Amino acid sequence: MKIIVNGKETIIKDNERNMLEALQHIGIEIPNLCYLSEASTFGACRMCLVEVDGKDVVTSCTLSPREGMRIRTNTPEIYELRRGILELILASHDGDCPTCERNGSCKLQKYAEDFGIRKNRFSKNKKNTITDYSSPIVRDNSKCILCGDCVRVCEEIQSVGAIDFAYRGFNSQVVPAFEDGLSLTECVYCGQCVAYCPTGALTFRNDLDELYKALKKKKTVIGMIAPAVRVAIQEEFGLSSDMVMAGRLASFLRMSGFSKVFDVAFAADLVAYEEAYEFKDRLINKKALPQLTSCCPGWVKFVEQFYPDYLENLSSVQSPQQALGSVIKEIYARENGLNKEDIYLVSFMPCTAKKHEAKREELEGLVDLVLTTRELAQMVKTSGMKLKNIVPEPFDRPYGISSQSGLSFGKTGGVLMSVLDVLKDDIHISDVVITEREEGIKIVEALYGEGQTVRGAIVYGLGNVRAIMKEVQAGQLNVDVIEVMACNHGCIGGGGQPYPNDTVTRKERAMSLRDTVGINSINSPIENFYMRELYQKHFGQPLSEKAHHILHTTYKPHRRIAETNIEIMPLPVPETEKTTVKVCLGTSCYAKGSYKILADLIESVKSEEWAKNVEVMGTFCTENCGHSPNVLVGDQLVSEATTEKVIEALKTQIVRT
Amino acid sequence: MPITRNFSKVEEILKKHAYDKKNLIKILLDVQKEYRHLPKDVINYLGVALDLPPAKIYGVGTFYAQFSLKPKGQYAISICDGTACHMQGSTSLLQAIEKEIGIKPGEVTPDLLFSLDQVGCLGACALAPAMVINEEVYGNLTPEEVTRILKNLKERKEA
Repeated sequence: MKIIVNGKETIIKDNERNMLEALQHIGIEIPNLCYLSEASTFGACRMCLVEVDGKDVVTSCTLSPREGMRIRTNTPEIYELRRGILELILASHDGDCPTCERNGSCKLQKYAEDFGIRKNRFSKNKKNTITDYSSPIVRDNSKCILCGDCVRVCEEIQSVGAIDFAYRGFNSQVVPAFEDGLSLTECVYCGQCVAYCPTGALTFRNDLDELYKALKKKKTVIGMIAPAVRVAIQEEFGLSSDMVMAGRLASFLRMSGFSKVFDVAFAADLVAYEEAYEFKDRLINKKALPQLTSCCPGWVKFVEQFYPDYLENLSSVQSPQQALGSVIKEIYARENGLNKEDIYLVSFMPCTAKKHEAKREELEGLVDLVLTTRELAQMVKTSGMKLKNIVPEPFDRPYGISSQSGLSFGKTGGVLMSVLDVLKDDIHISDVVITEREEGIKIVEALYGEGQTVRGAIVYGLGNVRAIMKEVQAGQLNVDVIEVMACNHGCIGGGGQPYPNDTVTRKERAMSLRDTVGINSINSPIENFYMRELYQKHFGQPLSEKAHHILHTTYKPHRRIAETNIEIMPLPVPETEKTTVKVCLGTSCYAKGSYKILADLIESVKSEEWAKNVEVMGTFCTENCGHSPNVLVGDQLVSEATTEKVIEALKTQIVRT
Repeated sequence: MPITRNFSKVEEILKKHAYDKKNLIKILLDVQKEYRHLPKDVINYLGVALDLPPAKIYGVGTFYAQFSLKPKGQYAISICDGTACHMQGSTSLLQAIEKEIGIKPGEVTPDLLFSLDQVGCLGACALAPAMVINEEVYGNLTPEEVTRILKNLKERKEA
């Protein structure tokens, strides 16, 4: 298609999504604050204005290109409009750049600089907002420009919807329901809102101070670095990708007071090995299939909240971060005469959800601190050392070497392919075929044993996963294993990575990781001598009791609505004189008819003599979704409940009191 | 025994609108009518029943002036302060209301009998100054008239 841009005839593709992208593809970067190629078009910021056919000024993000269109991108009128918009945004913006996490990487700050805004025609009109520090994701609405990127990422790409617009006009804000803290919502802490926020309204909790405190206390500080960190950190320094970055980082951490620096990719080998045998066991015995990978903490919380019926399908093997934490605290400490309390273990991750994972009840105390790629970059910057000049050094033994498989955990496909790699000779896997069904969903097919087929799915983006799970539930998709990474393109696109953290950058990181993997001379986890030694010395076989003790974990259903008790028929008498019955109205229970039980109980209490001292309450989740509907009678949990079962339990309890 | 929260009403409303998330606004209007506000646990309940994130329902509920997160009074008063009513002396009406029931716009009396909101225009400019109580429109008002109306409503409750 031919259009005329700024007086010059220009050929653009016929199928461009909109004028903004068309212009981008011919080298004109139209300023914008709310355009996300990955999500739907919103058209809110009004920065991307262009002039059409010499008269209308419209937003290019919502403009469909048409043959012969005459576009001007840089008229005095457009310049003034854009400046005006920036001034208006800045008038209601906190504007405290030096203390902002996004200082230097903020799009609003960049445009204010580009447009040379020194004095604002409009007086400050600050919003009355609070900052939410309840979770690893920090929300500060005084810096929010209402572009809606986070809302669309959370809803459209991740299908979570933990935050949305509320209120109207100048009072509009992006908030969780009831303005609760994020920790009380269904947020999985994937940090994709952080990745796409153009300003400092959504950031992650910066925990660097904790590290310096530990170093000051002269603890034995041990570090470990995830694969995705080493292919992204150079972006913070304007350097090109560097195959020996891991070595420079290891050396840097030692110079900064770390006693040892290990490689999380080693733990990825370990996890792949253990998880492979877990998969073999399930595949042969046809149980708990499809196996769901469990390396991604955002995905794990997602399953606990939305697919509690599939908890037994999740691999019970811990994530590489936690598995290495467990090995260091339980085995390494003892072998080296250290008290595990004296070790302070710090993991460097691309991920915001890992900060949450380390504090999970079942895993707490293994990894003491999780720092993101950006926090590590900040450490390097404040040290004054030049990353490029640091002579690389290998990771420490014994957890310092890794295979190609382990390293590739940093991007989509890495986990599932590693599992197949481990089992290759064991169950004779051959003829592996990978097909891309759509962006973010790949199907893997292979032969094993005596000509049987094993099928798997590789998925990224939680919205894609929801679609896949729907097919699995409906029996339309038959797979034996599903690898899930919550973030688009895998861990390399994690919420703790440098900015910009968009699709283009993620693809570059994937190439860089591919190269880093490629030059590794160890192919399969099976060849990782130190990993095998762990089994020889400590675990014996995969899935052994010892291996279970050190490497596995548990999951439980997770309520996604914080509010616990709903008074339905309150009975204002002392606890001893009444029996409380609590009916679960959470998703699973509701779907299985818990409302009917509630209605029946209300009827009984209203009309029947025996039930006069029964107090009826509701709750939004008893976290026992696998056996719904659930009803709590006193302290007794009645699962797979029916009205009859509940009344029987009630009558027994009433007799007892 | 009193029933604080009876989800049977919510279920009726949901049924009426076919448990369809596309009908969210209609459902919320019915909930608002039933409870005179959108109770938190009902929003959560709707989230479960309609498979919608509570944040989305909260967003819709806080956007439209028809919905309220705080309970409205049994008599929800909207006093108009649009241009016509303002010119015709709505300020003195507001003072009379505030004096009679002791609350300011945006508030509700402790006994939940009255709530008061000041609105931009009721579309009844010919009757200025005007107010609406629940769905009834009162026009050509004076402070004395307003006080008399409110006194009547109070007495009706006591009787």
